Amino acid sequence: MFLALKEMKHEKLHYGLIIAMIVLISYLMFFLMGMMLGLQNENDAAIKEWGTETVFLNKNSNDNLSQSLITRDQLPTKEQGNTALVGQAPVVVKTKGASKESTQFIGLDSSQFISREKIKVTSGHKVNKSNEIVVDESLKKDGYHLGDKVTINSQNEKYKIVGFVNDAKLSVAPVVYGDISVWRALRGLNSEAVASGIFSDHNLSKGVYPKLQHYTAKEYINKLPGYSAQNNTFTFMIGFLMVISLIVIAVFLYILTMQKISHYAVMRAQGIPARHLVLATITQSIILMISGVLGGILLTFVTKLVVPMSVPVIMNWPIIALMAVGLIVLGMLGSLLPVRMIVKIDPARALN
Amino acid sequence: MAMMELQNVNKYYGQGIGRVHVLKDVNFKANAGEMNLILGPSGSGKSTFLTIAGGLQTPTTGKVLIDGLDLLHLSPKQRDELRLKKIGFILQSYNLLPYLNIADQFKLVDRIKKEGNISQKAFENLLLKLDIKNLLKQYPAELSGGQNQRVAIARALYTDPQIILADEPTAALDSNLVKTVGQLFQDMAKNEGKAVIVVTHDLRLRKYADHIYELADGQLTERGKVSPAIV
Repeated sequence: MFLALKEMKHEKLHYGLIIAMIVLISYLMFFLMGMMLGLQNENDAAIKEWGTETVFLNKNSNDNLSQSLITRDQLPTKEQGNTALVGQAPVVVKTKGASKESTQFIGLDSSQFISREKIKVTSGHKVNKSNEIVVDESLKKDGYHLGDKVTINSQNEKYKIVGFVNDAKLSVAPVVYGDISVWRALRGLNSEAVASGIFSDHNLSKGVYPKLQHYTAKEYINKLPGYSAQNNTFTFMIGFLMVISLIVIAVFLYILTMQKISHYAVMRAQGIPARHLVLATITQSIILMISGVLGGILLTFVTKLVVPMSVPVIMNWPIIALMAVGLIVLGMLGSLLPVRMIVKIDPARALN
Repeated sequence: MAMMELQNVNKYYGQGIGRVHVLKDVNFKANAGEMNLILGPSGSGKSTFLTIAGGLQTPTTGKVLIDGLDLLHLSPKQRDELRLKKIGFILQSYNLLPYLNIADQFKLVDRIKKEGNISQKAFENLLLKLDIKNLLKQYPAELSGGQNQRVAIARALYTDPQIILADEPTAALDSNLVKTVGQLFQDMAKNEGKAVIVVTHDLRLRKYADHIYELADGQLTERGKVSPAIV
């Protein structure tokens, strides 16, 4: 520690540049991770908010909730508990003094678990009547307020905003919660159509709805349009950056060690054990990584505060902590290359 | 008693027709309380002699005994420990770390060799004797060659070694400082019972030596106190 800190203090520019490099790499990684989580959230926030464990769709829906239509004859005669009928329809909402917004209408039965337990209004109250809606908080900034009368698509009927909810996002659009009968009206369906899908917060088996397609929550979310492709792209970018950071730290420490070989040889000649020099190098790499990673986290945090709302960034601290530990471990791995060099130093070089 | 002994030491470098015989049947004894001067021109094998005597490399044939211990029988770790505890190296390249100020050069020793270093009083006397007490906060790059050389000498003596191995310790010093360093080595030998071995071109150190050797073409010959002509 003594040698590591003294050297870093004396060679501020050298080590400052390495830390700056690690800050930038880790910043990019944390920011990409934040965007990945932000975009994930835009896709699946509502589904996660419902505590979804199992989903049933029409077998011919091609895994797509908006293309699924469940009819009464596909349901068993005995009603299943712990499930909720969900009717989904992409709609455009409009109110006086606010812009048109593309949203996802989610029709619910107010007696079922999603409406009863999972919808937590941040202001106002839940939907009690068929002409009432509860909308995502993000619509507030677009000029929608409690009590506003909203037109959905080109319907004549107006719907009153009676509440707002947090994290109500589906397929990168804010959610408008209403009664399931409104969904039928929006889709022009008769009473034979019961829902787009059936969601449950319990692990249900395929046999519960034998005429429907069964999905676990994970399977369903991964089949959301573009969801897997988007996540894989981000994961690859983050993975490559991890490898790059490993190479950067290894190369920098290798070059620094090469420059210090004569000093190490002198210390070895004086009887200073190689273990001491190895520890100093590993300590340096840990200090470099911790400083760089903390800098990267700080920059990501500041960026999150200043980026527009249209760029969704979520800082998930457990994931950030995991990535930070991963980066520090990679830094230690990177220091193994110069460590090998130190162990092999011939102390007789001190006299040359 | 011989603190250091080289018995029939031979050292070869290279292989086949490129093989060079650098040290030829070298026999040498350094006793506690004596200062030994080894004079020789460039390329005579002085550095090889020092690296073998200090346990930095092994001879091709022959034995090196330090305080009765055969270096060949020690593991690299034991040789490190022996160098740290018993040998003080003073190298031509000053053996100072550029990123430590002078005070920290000594603190580093304290951190690695926690016991057996010279007392605070002896340390202050050493700094005064070498006229480097006012340099403690400076870095090696801020010092002259002579100042660095004196700090390097103090650094080597700080561990209170039984054997002092010096490679051209006075190369960067003027006559007054050569006298100081010569007297210091003599004092270390006579009053503290250390074995001092100085490899040098500098004939000004002759008068402080108990034994003078000439190393020429890999052969070591004792010349008493009369210096050979250095080519």
